[in-house]
Amino acid sequence: MMKSRPLLFAAVGLALLVLFPVATDNAYYIHLVETISIYAILLFGLDIVVGYTGQVSLGHAGLFGIGAYAAGVVITNFPNTPFVLIPIIAIAVTALFGAILALPALRVTGPYLAMVTLAFGTIIQILVNEMDFLTNGPMGITLTKPVILGHQLTEREYFWVVAFLLVAALLVVHRILRSHLGRAFEALRGSPVASDCMGVSVYRYKVFAFVVSAGLAGLAGSLYSYSEQYISPNTYNFELTVLFLLAIIMGGRKTRSGALLGAAIIVMLPKLLDDIVLFRYVAVTFAALVLVGAVAFVATGRSTPQRVAVPVAGTVALAGVSFKLDNIGDWRLAIFGLITLLVVYYLQDGIVGFARQTLGWRGHGASDAEAAARLPAAGSAVSTSVAAAATPAMQDLVAADRVLMQFGGLKALNDVTLHVTRGTIHGLIGPNGSGKSTMMNVLTGIYVPTEGAIAFKGQSIVGRTSARIALTGIARTFQNVQLFGEMTALQNVLVGLHHTYRSNLLDVALHLPRFVREERAATARAYALLKFVGLESLAGEEARNLPYGKQRLLEIARALALNPELLLLDEPAAGLTAPDIRELVVIIRKIREHGITLILIEHHMDVVMSVCDVVTVLDFGQKIAEGTPAAVQANPQVIKAYLGGELEALALQAAARTGSESDPRSPGSPA
Amino acid sequence: MQILTQLVFSGIALGMIYAVIAFGYQLTFATSDTLNFGQGEALMLGALVGLTLVGMGVNYWLMIPIVCVFGAIQGAVVERIGVRPAIKIKSEFGWIMSTIALGIIFRNVAENVWGRDMRPFPSPLPEAPLHFLGANVRPMEILVAVGALLMMAAVELFNRKTIWGKAVVATFNDRDAARLMGINTSLVITFSYALSSISAALAGVLIAPLTLAGPNMAAQLGLKAFAVAIIGGLTSGMGIIVGGIILGIAEKLTGFYVSTGYSDVPGLVLLLIVLAVRPAGLFGRSAIKKV
Repeated sequence: MMKSRPLLFAAVGLALLVLFPVATDNAYYIHLVETISIYAILLFGLDIVVGYTGQVSLGHAGLFGIGAYAAGVVITNFPNTPFVLIPIIAIAVTALFGAILALPALRVTGPYLAMVTLAFGTIIQILVNEMDFLTNGPMGITLTKPVILGHQLTEREYFWVVAFLLVAALLVVHRILRSHLGRAFEALRGSPVASDCMGVSVYRYKVFAFVVSAGLAGLAGSLYSYSEQYISPNTYNFELTVLFLLAIIMGGRKTRSGALLGAAIIVMLPKLLDDIVLFRYVAVTFAALVLVGAVAFVATGRSTPQRVAVPVAGTVALAGVSFKLDNIGDWRLAIFGLITLLVVYYLQDGIVGFARQTLGWRGHGASDAEAAARLPAAGSAVSTSVAAAATPAMQDLVAADRVLMQFGGLKALNDVTLHVTRGTIHGLIGPNGSGKSTMMNVLTGIYVPTEGAIAFKGQSIVGRTSARIALTGIARTFQNVQLFGEMTALQNVLVGLHHTYRSNLLDVALHLPRFVREERAATARAYALLKFVGLESLAGEEARNLPYGKQRLLEIARALALNPELLLLDEPAAGLTAPDIRELVVIIRKIREHGITLILIEHHMDVVMSVCDVVTVLDFGQKIAEGTPAAVQANPQVIKAYLGGELEALALQAAARTGSESDPRSPGSPA
Repeated sequence: MQILTQLVFSGIALGMIYAVIAFGYQLTFATSDTLNFGQGEALMLGALVGLTLVGMGVNYWLMIPIVCVFGAIQGAVVERIGVRPAIKIKSEFGWIMSTIALGIIFRNVAENVWGRDMRPFPSPLPEAPLHFLGANVRPMEILVAVGALLMMAAVELFNRKTIWGKAVVATFNDRDAARLMGINTSLVITFSYALSSISAALAGVLIAPLTLAGPNMAAQLGLKAFAVAIIGGLTSGMGIIVGGIILGIAEKLTGFYVSTGYSDVPGLVLLLIVLAVRPAGLFGRSAIKKV
């Protein structure tokens, strides 16, 4: 029942697509739908970069051009190349360029990335114009429709080729994005630091996303060259890039239907602007729709008159202006700019996102979670640390020796030595700014220590990337929660289980048994982990919508998914209510029973004193005490650090009793 | 040798223009972590408004303050429409797309108002070249370099010496803290956009006599100025002057010795290399990421 609706839509859509050229004889319309299909293939790819990894790429027109020219150049120079090879060559060449672009581009983000990709697109356009020995320069390349087995394809037959590839691309992209690869893309947008600490290398998956995206742009480019039968450098310009981005945001990020819709809009839009009479009709209809929608929204209390004023005024003005102008073509770009502005601010989730919200459709995240609940339960949620049983119990799991971490003149960690015994819960306490979190960041590779040695299981981890350290068995949670906000609780844990997948792109694209098996096992395990921390009823909820305390528990579940031998908890009780804290203590103890060693940073002294075996105290970056909780509590230096020196040991014990109330942090505020 | 000197001189003049636009990027990036992707269009509008004023018989020197006022208004409009809503909803994608969209709108409007053709801009100084180190230097080129330096110096002085400037610097250092100290940070951001567009508009009227004025005069200028800002570092004043001169000379040399078609390439390649090797720029400092 649940799956029937999308399946029905897909079947109807497919039938319409295949039968369309039979229904009409008009080559113009066939060509139009063909162009929409080609753009849609590119937009599927662009959405991976823009929607999923959250990067702005202004280089996709350039990549599209590379695909077209790769096809054009091969056909011109080797006319006997079989047609089936052309898109493959175009995909390979463009993916290679995508990788070249990604390497410098992805070390930077935001405006830098936008400018780099813009520079890339500009260079491509210049090169295509200037390298006339290869590209025939501004004259362009003229082609014919492909020949298959000696038969020259007609417009209609070529349409079916494009339609087939559109469906194939749709299926492959959809499967990639619903797999662990897609979750990796989404995770690095949600929180790059957390991705790295879950063993999902941000850099690697950004490059990967760019390469897949470029490959699709290449496929689209090669199809476009056959479709237009003419390739010229000025097609692949800046405006086209902006048009692609407009299509993605207008259609709706992170949906394939949005990309299809966006493609249709940007192909139809220029046609619309060619005909002033038609444009007037559309502008008036559009203004009326927005007006009616706005009135409905205000009437039902879903929006305020102030908020809808600008879009209503904008669209009404557009309709008014359309009657003033005689020649709309000259104002094409300005209108297109205005639409972009309106969409960026008033339709952020795109048409599909807006429709979903208004009609209350659920995303696949929620239904996936329900499906997960029905899977047979996994054996054990928390993997028992195997190495713990095999090696002597009293061995240092972590040996950090004389660690110095210097930021400019500040020594955040000064000559700190920390040895953590396997199987223990090791508390790390100290006043704010004493270097506890810095220690966590050094242990997980986020900072590289200025000096000192850190060994984990006897091997040095200094200089290793966070992702590699995570995969060797160190998992962590964050002081200021770093969840993947737009992903469901279940998906968050699945990102932690990324390391359990061995499937490659082919397994994912074709849903080969290996991927199906791994996905089912991971889902069952993720659900069991949620159950372990008591969040199974919220599996389908987006992480950003969870209450603060639940978010902290979700972070623990996600960290456990890594099968860690060492788990670092950075203030897990901050912002939790008293009953939540009791639950947390139970969970911490249960984790230890599975043989996992813990380092616990916490300001709630009652928690620290009740669960820790050993406590290390830091103050101003230096270790001032270490020992059993009772010994540390009685240590005069510790009391001095916490209370300023003149008070008696009693005072600290008093602080311990009222620890939860005296915490200066208000619940929910990231420290 | 003479040709080389000649190329170096015109490269410096061109580089100073890049530096001015890059300076505009620095101003807004400092206050709001955003920049105007339509900075090239701000320059173009400045030049065309200047051209119209000169055509109406206004003296070149008298025209400059009017163009500055126009630039300030244009910059404030960009900030209000394009940037402020994006800052409010913390959307990076939002301001990038909306400043691009505004740039496209401005260019299209300019095409409809002034026509697509490139038009000559009357030079306020004599056209006869001066002879210097065996090369011919046009007086206008000297004016461009001097004018650009003066303008940057004026803004720097403003930032360091006046209370308004202190507000700008405070907003740069910590926007939230500055707001809590009673500084109207959104006004400061609007102001920085106005200032940024003034510098671009001024650069437009400075360079137009050397090139030509038209809606597409700034097609690649904004991007190349960004390259300069990156090469020099988005926080270094000295960096953009050095970066601008490097890029200006590199372009003139490429244009002469390779092909004019390729003259845009060195700057863009340099941009890619700098970002790959040293994202903070040659003169900028890299920030420590905090978790």
